[in-house]
Amino acid sequence: MNRYLPLSILALAILAFATLLLVIAPGIQISRHAAPPGLKPYTEQELRGRDVYVSLGCVYCHSQQPRSPDQAPDGVRGWGRPAIAADYTYDAPHQLGTMRTGPDLLNVGARLPSRDWHLAHLYQPRAIFDWSIMPSYPFLFQRKDSAGPEDVAVSMPAAFAPESGVIVAKQDALDLVAYLLSLDRTYPAPANALRDDGYSQPVEP
Amino acid sequence: MTQPAERPEAGPTDPAKGRIARGWIHAAGAVVIIAAVGALAYESGLIPSPQAARQGMGSTTAGYFQPPTDDQIPDDEFGAAVRRGQAIFMNTSTNASEHVGNGLSCSNCHLDGGRQPYSAPMWAAWVQYPKYRSKNNQINTMEDRVKGCFTYSMNAQHSVSGGPPPAGDDIYRDLQSYFYWLATNAPTNRKMEGVGFGKVEKTELGYSPERGEQVFAANCSVCHGADGQGQKDINERYVFPPLWGPNSYNWGAGMARIDTAAAFIKNNMPLSQPGKLTDQEVWDVAAFIDSHERPKDPRQKGNTIEETRKRYHDGDEIYYGRTVNGVLLGVGTPDPVHPVASQE
Amino acid sequence: MSKDPKRMTNTRHRPDENFEPYEPHRRIPWPLIAFAGALGLWGAATLLDSRQDVAAEQAERLVADNLKTGQNSEPGSTLFAARCATCHQPDGMGVRAAIPPLSGSPFVAQGPELIAKILLRGIDGPIRVNNHVFDGHMPSFASTLTDSEIGELASHVARHFGESSQTLSATEVASLRGPAGEDSSFKGGAEIAATSGFSLGDQPAFVSVSAGSLAPEISSLVFSGRGEQWACASCHGDLGQGKETTPRLAGLPADYIVKQLDDFAQGRRLNESMRMVVNTLSDSEKRKLAEYYADLRVPSNARPELGGNLARGEELALRGDWSRNVPSCFSCHGPSGFGVAPEFPALAAQHAAYTTNQLSAWAGGHRKNSSLALMERISSELGDADRRAVADYLASLPPVPAGTSEKTASIGDQP
Repeated sequence: MNRYLPLSILALAILAFATLLLVIAPGIQISRHAAPPGLKPYTEQELRGRDVYVSLGCVYCHSQQPRSPDQAPDGVRGWGRPAIAADYTYDAPHQLGTMRTGPDLLNVGARLPSRDWHLAHLYQPRAIFDWSIMPSYPFLFQRKDSAGPEDVAVSMPAAFAPESGVIVAKQDALDLVAYLLSLDRTYPAPANALRDDGYSQPVEP
Repeated sequence: MTQPAERPEAGPTDPAKGRIARGWIHAAGAVVIIAAVGALAYESGLIPSPQAARQGMGSTTAGYFQPPTDDQIPDDEFGAAVRRGQAIFMNTSTNASEHVGNGLSCSNCHLDGGRQPYSAPMWAAWVQYPKYRSKNNQINTMEDRVKGCFTYSMNAQHSVSGGPPPAGDDIYRDLQSYFYWLATNAPTNRKMEGVGFGKVEKTELGYSPERGEQVFAANCSVCHGADGQGQKDINERYVFPPLWGPNSYNWGAGMARIDTAAAFIKNNMPLSQPGKLTDQEVWDVAAFIDSHERPKDPRQKGNTIEETRKRYHDGDEIYYGRTVNGVLLGVGTPDPVHPVASQE
Repeated sequence: MSKDPKRMTNTRHRPDENFEPYEPHRRIPWPLIAFAGALGLWGAATLLDSRQDVAAEQAERLVADNLKTGQNSEPGSTLFAARCATCHQPDGMGVRAAIPPLSGSPFVAQGPELIAKILLRGIDGPIRVNNHVFDGHMPSFASTLTDSEIGELASHVARHFGESSQTLSATEVASLRGPAGEDSSFKGGAEIAATSGFSLGDQPAFVSVSAGSLAPEISSLVFSGRGEQWACASCHGDLGQGKETTPRLAGLPADYIVKQLDDFAQGRRLNESMRMVVNTLSDSEKRKLAEYYADLRVPSNARPELGGNLARGEELALRGDWSRNVPSCFSCHGPSGFGVAPEFPALAAQHAAYTTNQLSAWAGGHRKNSSLALMERISSELGDADRRAVADYLASLPPVPAGTSEKTASIGDQP
C-alpha cells in the first residue's frame, strides 16, 4: 500500500474500465442505430417547448421511459410500448427521468392529443384533478381583458377563472404544449432496436 | 516487510468469547440462508401462497368430472363425427336447420358446450342411457332422448321438415359421438355429481308470477330483453335466447316446467353469477317466465288442452292448461305462415 | 546489578515499530459460502422464473416485426379459425338467417381474388347466398390484417370451401387495396355482382338510407369544443378512433354512449376530464353526439400492444373460463365483439390499453356502472395476465360494420 505509482495507475485503470463499459461502449452502440422511420425531428416550436420543459424541471417528477410488461404495467396504463434507445435520437439532453410522481410522458401526445386540455391543465392542474399535487404554471399565461384574434384563450371553470377578462396562453405555454403533443413514440419498434427488456433476449433480426 | 519479533497468537484473546461470537455469526448466517431458501420456494410455488390457494379454491368445476378438451379430439373418422356433433350442438339452428323450428341451440341451456356441471352436462347424461322415462312410458336410448329434445325444446313442429330427425339420422350419430367423447372415462350407469340441473327446495311462499316479474326486470331483462324475446347482434343472430313467445321452446319441453326452470336458473343464471338469486326469487322468476304463451305442445294434435294436460302434464309443476290472469295457457303462439327459415 | 523489573518488562513488550499487521490464512467460514450459494440460487431461480415474460416479450416483438414487414407467420387454416370462425363457424356453415355459409357459396367459388376484395371492403347490405337472403354486415379487415395475411386467408377459403387451387400473393392483395379512405363497403351482394361481373345468383336490390346531416352545433362540439368543454375530437381523434387509454368511440351503440356520459356526470364512472366535459352537456346534445359516433364507420387503429397471450385472449373471448365462472366475452358482447345494443358495447377494435384499464377499473371499484355488477365480478376473476391477453385479442379484431345506415365521418364538417 505504499507503492503509490502502481496504486494510482490501477485506480485510474479501474475508473477507465468502468467509463469504457458504462459510457463509451454504450454510446458507440447507440449511435450506430439511426432514427426509426416513425420518428420525426422536432420542429422549431417543439424545440423551444422542449427548452421550456427542461427549464421548468418537469423531469423531476415525470419520467419519459415506459417499461416492458415484465417490469412494470406501463403499457396497461396507456403509457405506450417499451421505449427503445432510438426513440431518444433527437432528444438532447434526454429527459428520461427517474421519478414518477406524475405519469410517464413519452407518449402523452398519443394519449392526450388535446392542446386545449394541456393548456387548461398547465394553468391549474387542480381544475381538472382535485387531488393533483402538480404545481400550477400561471406564469406561462396572462390575463387579458379580451382575447385578441391571434390569442389562444383558455377557459377555466368558474372556481378557477379570473374575476374578469380571459386567460390567454403566452408563447411559452404554446411551445411547451406543442412539445408535449409531439411526444408520441407509438410507432412500431424496429426488430433490432436496443431496449431494456428485463431478462429477455433480443430476437434475431 | 519486516518480520515481527514474535508472532502474537492469532484469534481473540479469550477463547470462550470467540466461541460465542462464532456461534452468533453461524446463527445469523443460518437465518439468512433459511430466509433465502424459503423465499425461493415461495416464489417458485413449492410453498402454496394465498393467491395460489385462492385460485385453486376458486375453480368452480374442480370437484366434478373433467371432460376432455377440444384439442384432444382424435384425427380420424370418429373425431370428424365428434366435430360435427359439436357443431350441431353449438349451432343447432344452422347444422340441423331442417329440424329446428325456433331460435334456440343446444348450447343455450347446456352451457359450455355441454360440459358445465348442473347445466345438464352431456357427460353425465350419456352414462345414464338407455333408461326408462315416464314422459313417453318406454325405455329410451340416447337417440330417443335427443329426438325428444328436437321435438320439444327445438320446436321441430314448426321447422322445414315439420318434425325431429328420423330414426337413424346422421344428426343423432354425430351428436351421440360428441356426447360419448365428452364422457370419456366417466363411469357407466352411475348418477354422477353435477348431473342435470340440480334441485331447488320448495319455499313456504310458493311461487308467483307477479313477484317473478320484479325479479325478471331487475335481473334478467338486461340480457334477455324486457320482453323476454332475447337480443340479436348486428347480423340478426341471437346472442341471448328468447324465453317465451314463438321463437322459444314449446309447452312440451322440460324447461316449461317451473321446477326444472327454477333449478336451471338457480345453478346457472345470471350468466357468470350462478346462485345469486335466492330460492324464493328463483321460483318466482321461473313461474313468471313459464307463465307466458309459447308454441303449442306437439302432442296435443286434435285434442283439447284439458285432455292433453290430463294425459301428459298431470302432476307437473306447469302452467299448461291452467288459467293465469284470466287467460288459459297452452293454446300456443300462432303457427308461422312458413316454416321457420324456409327457403326464399 | 539487578535490572528494574518494569524496565525489563517494557523492553520485552515494546512493539516493534516496523511491525506490519497481518492475518494468517483462514478458511472462508462455511456460513458465508452457504449464504453466497443461496443468493446465487435465488438469482438463478429468478432468471428462470421470468422465462414466461421473456417469451411474451419476444412474441410481442415478433408480432410487431410481422406487422411491419408483412410477413405472415400463420397458415390460412389458423387464420381462419382465429378470424372467421366466430361468425362463419369452423365448418364454414355460417349461422341460419344471420351469417351466410362459405361452403358452397357462389362468392367463394369465384376464387381468392373476389374473397380478398370482400375481406378488404366488407359488406353492408342484403346478399343472397344460394337459397337464403342475409341482411349482412361483414366488417372490413383492411386495417387489421396485412396483405400477406389476407392473401393467405383468401387462398385458404377458396381452396377449402370452394374448388380453387389459386394462391393470392401479398403484392396482388396490395394492388387490390384502393386509396385509403375511399374503400367503402360493398352495398350488399348487388354491388359485388355489378362490379365483378360474375354470375352470383339473383341478388336483392340495395335500398340506401340517406344519412342524416350533422347539425352544425353538434359538429362544432365535436371538432371545436365549447369553452372548458374541450372538443371531442381533440382527444378521441378526428375519426373517433381514440388512442391508448382514450377509447375508440366510432361504432359504439348510441344508447351506451349516452349512458356512459350520464355515468361520468353522476360519478358512477370516475374520470375527471370526462366529468368536466359532460358537466355542461344537455341531454339532447348527449343523444346527438352519441348518434354521431354510433354511425361512424372508420378503420381500426388499435393493435395488440401489451404483450398479452393472444391464444389465451382468443380462448377467453370465444369460450370463456368456466372454471372461474367467466363466460366467453362474445356470449354477451356478440360474435366478433360487435356488441349488442344498448347494454353490451362493441369490444372489437378497442384499444388494448383502454380495455385493460376499464377491466382494472371495474375490479378496483373505479367504475361501478355495470348492470348486475356483471363486469365487476368478471374483471376481478381475471388476473392481470388474462386482462392483457383478452384486451390484446380484442384490439386485433376488425371494427364494427355499419348498422342500418352508413355514415362516414366527414372531416370537412368543421364550421
